[in-house]
Amino acid sequence: MSGVVDVSRKYPDKLTLLQRLYIPEILRGMAVTLGHLVRNLANYKGLPTIFYPEQKRNYSGRFRGKHILKTREDGSLKCVACYMCQQACPAECITIVAGEHPKIAYEKYPVVFDIDMMRCVFCGFCVDACPKDAIWMTRNYEMAFFTREDAIFSIDRLRERPEEILQHGYGYRPYYPGDGTNPPSDASRLPVVPGGGERPRLRSEGVPLPDRDPGPGPLNAPSQAQRPFSA
Amino acid sequence: MTVAEAGILSPAAEKLRERVAASPAGPRAEVLDLDLPTVEVGPEDWLALARFLRDDPGCRYELFIDLCGVDNLKRRGPKSRFETVVHLHSFVKNEHVRVRVVLPDTPDAKPTLPSVESVWPAADWFEREAYDLYGFQFTGHPNLHRILCHDAFVGHALRKDYAPGQRWFYAEEDLRFPEWAKETDVRAGHFETQTISIGPSHPATHGIIHIVARLDGERIVRAETIIGYLHRCFEKMAEKHHWNQVIPYTDRLNYVSSMINGVGYVRTVEKMLGLTIPDRGRLVRTILSEFSRIMDHCVCIGANLVDIGALTNFTYLYQNRENIYSLLEACCGARLTVSYVRVGGLAIDIPDDFDARCRGLLESIPPFLEDVDKLVSNNRIVRNRFSGTGLVSRDQAVAWGLTGPMLRASGVPYDVRRARPYDFYDKFDWDVPIAQDGDNFARYLVRMEEMRQSLKIIRQALDVLPKSGPVNSDDWHVVLPPKDAVYHDMESLIYHFKLVMEGIRVPPGERYEWIEGGTGELGFYAVSDGRGGPYRLKVRPPCFPNMAAFEKMIVGGTVSDAVASLGTLNIIAGELDR
Repeated sequence: MSGVVDVSRKYPDKLTLLQRLYIPEILRGMAVTLGHLVRNLANYKGLPTIFYPEQKRNYSGRFRGKHILKTREDGSLKCVACYMCQQACPAECITIVAGEHPKIAYEKYPVVFDIDMMRCVFCGFCVDACPKDAIWMTRNYEMAFFTREDAIFSIDRLRERPEEILQHGYGYRPYYPGDGTNPPSDASRLPVVPGGGERPRLRSEGVPLPDRDPGPGPLNAPSQAQRPFSA
Repeated sequence: MTVAEAGILSPAAEKLRERVAASPAGPRAEVLDLDLPTVEVGPEDWLALARFLRDDPGCRYELFIDLCGVDNLKRRGPKSRFETVVHLHSFVKNEHVRVRVVLPDTPDAKPTLPSVESVWPAADWFEREAYDLYGFQFTGHPNLHRILCHDAFVGHALRKDYAPGQRWFYAEEDLRFPEWAKETDVRAGHFETQTISIGPSHPATHGIIHIVARLDGERIVRAETIIGYLHRCFEKMAEKHHWNQVIPYTDRLNYVSSMINGVGYVRTVEKMLGLTIPDRGRLVRTILSEFSRIMDHCVCIGANLVDIGALTNFTYLYQNRENIYSLLEACCGARLTVSYVRVGGLAIDIPDDFDARCRGLLESIPPFLEDVDKLVSNNRIVRNRFSGTGLVSRDQAVAWGLTGPMLRASGVPYDVRRARPYDFYDKFDWDVPIAQDGDNFARYLVRMEEMRQSLKIIRQALDVLPKSGPVNSDDWHVVLPPKDAVYHDMESLIYHFKLVMEGIRVPPGERYEWIEGGTGELGFYAVSDGRGGPYRLKVRPPCFPNMAAFEKMIVGGTVSDAVASLGTLNIIAGELDR
């Protein structure tokens, strides 16, 4: 805690004769700007301006750029379509449609996972909300589109690709190397109990499975398609 | 039974009750002891009470802070549907007070109350806003027109029964030009005066602001500002989202110092929850807020000097800003819209090299400030453009509700960080810079000195910042549990799920919290009904009264003076129009 300082005392209203003559002040100003010029010429590599796009700014590992959907060891998406990122999104840019996964350890998977990059505000709330470590962000900030439809990224453009990571690097994510946190255990490594995944076969073998309506989804679609129209 | 329920008031509220009992409103006004001493009054007594609160030697509530409406349609408790909430500040008592004007229900849902524009000129725009968004009829208001929504808008957007999906087409002929600007004004011995539009898209406005000015030769004889071109329904959006989801929206209020907005907002919610944050988290917020203040002033001064032709300073000041952006990006992953704070702490702990980065900035910023000082402060051209232009006297500044550097440049040492210290500001050694002249040059000097004082605060805060420790509260009803626990522990996952899906349960009630933003007092008035999101959230943007004063400030000056004055006001359209 301290006092109040009156700055108008430091700069008197009347300028001195030398300052009013103007020429000395011009020279003093030139000394400042030319000083910068000389220093910048001497330190050409350290210039604050960047020759974008040839040269790019080096961002931190927390940069919030384009999203990626993480995959398991077996290549399937980690996402279990729990809708938590969709709910947490302040811009309401995520659309998820869930389907039933054939592998019981996973239960659900996203049939549709769309992010509207034109709506997205890159706040990272989806990454914070994910309980399965399924959505991360990258340092890729170069997303330009010609149409609005183009800006809606679906699973094929969001799925993690090694070459994209190689080029841009990971950005905002739930944990960083060496911060003492662990990724969730990968369900693809766990023994899948019960069975290999097909519910009807398991049911016929008498395995007690919860009996419920499978709901819409492409994996259920064949059975829907087989149903005769007249019925 | 709590103290408040027993009818025992705090000393401040007790004093206020004694004073209000002696006022013309007398026994009809009720004094409550909420987060602030609160006077409840009917519209018939409001004008008399307002005069009393301003003039009574035991009150002296001179500074008009905020006026907003609340619609209680979907909230249980309040007796009538609409109320107007006013916040005032007294320099003598150094405290805020709230006045709630309870508006009786009318069959046509058009509540009427007297305008207090004659008591506090600052109420002018705030009343227009309440008229625009709630449809309150302020009798005796000189210019009661819509301000944020356009003139072809139908209905009142913040009413709870207004369907937000509606769209209203706005055509060019709907633009409301002030009545006085349409008439010709011929003065004796003069040419006909002419009316010009500065803006909406003018390089000097640094945003979309429309100024209609009548010129008599070079001099401005009358002006009116038309705003609202950047209105994005922040308050309506806040009502539709969870408490935490509002944070990215606050970044877009004053986007030049977005960190400060977030801190101001989450402080309000944390106070409602009664939550304490670890000291380390609060210190990090303080450090980054002060860096944001430096950015805010850099942008203001840099752009202002460009407007009057001094281009070099802009590059020097913006280099500071770029460097500070890099620090913010290393902390949270974004340069402009940081979204770094969360209710209960921060999104993520600071990086390992935080201290080194901050100290590097403390080294690199002062030389640029010195260069600008050398180029500008004693330059004759700058002096001629700045000195004596955009004059605001002390009394005018208070009457117009100015805060921040604008008010301090007119000689009033009111700084929220000093008047009501939060986040350790009372522990640090720093000075409140003031100036006496109240002109553009004084505002420039105050901002330059404030940057130096901010550096001083940051240096002291860094010295006491613990190397490690929590930045977040460990109350998992508010803060997301650590990710490790969420992945592997069922109980944490449940907390996580409840927080994401339902939001933070904030106890019902209301709160006004205010901090020192880059431009002045930044306040958030939040009403909770116990759901996961705000029932009502009002921002008190410091730009708003500053811009309202602009049309009075520039009268008598030339257009080029008006451009210089607009720069020193530091108008951020995102905050002005919300």
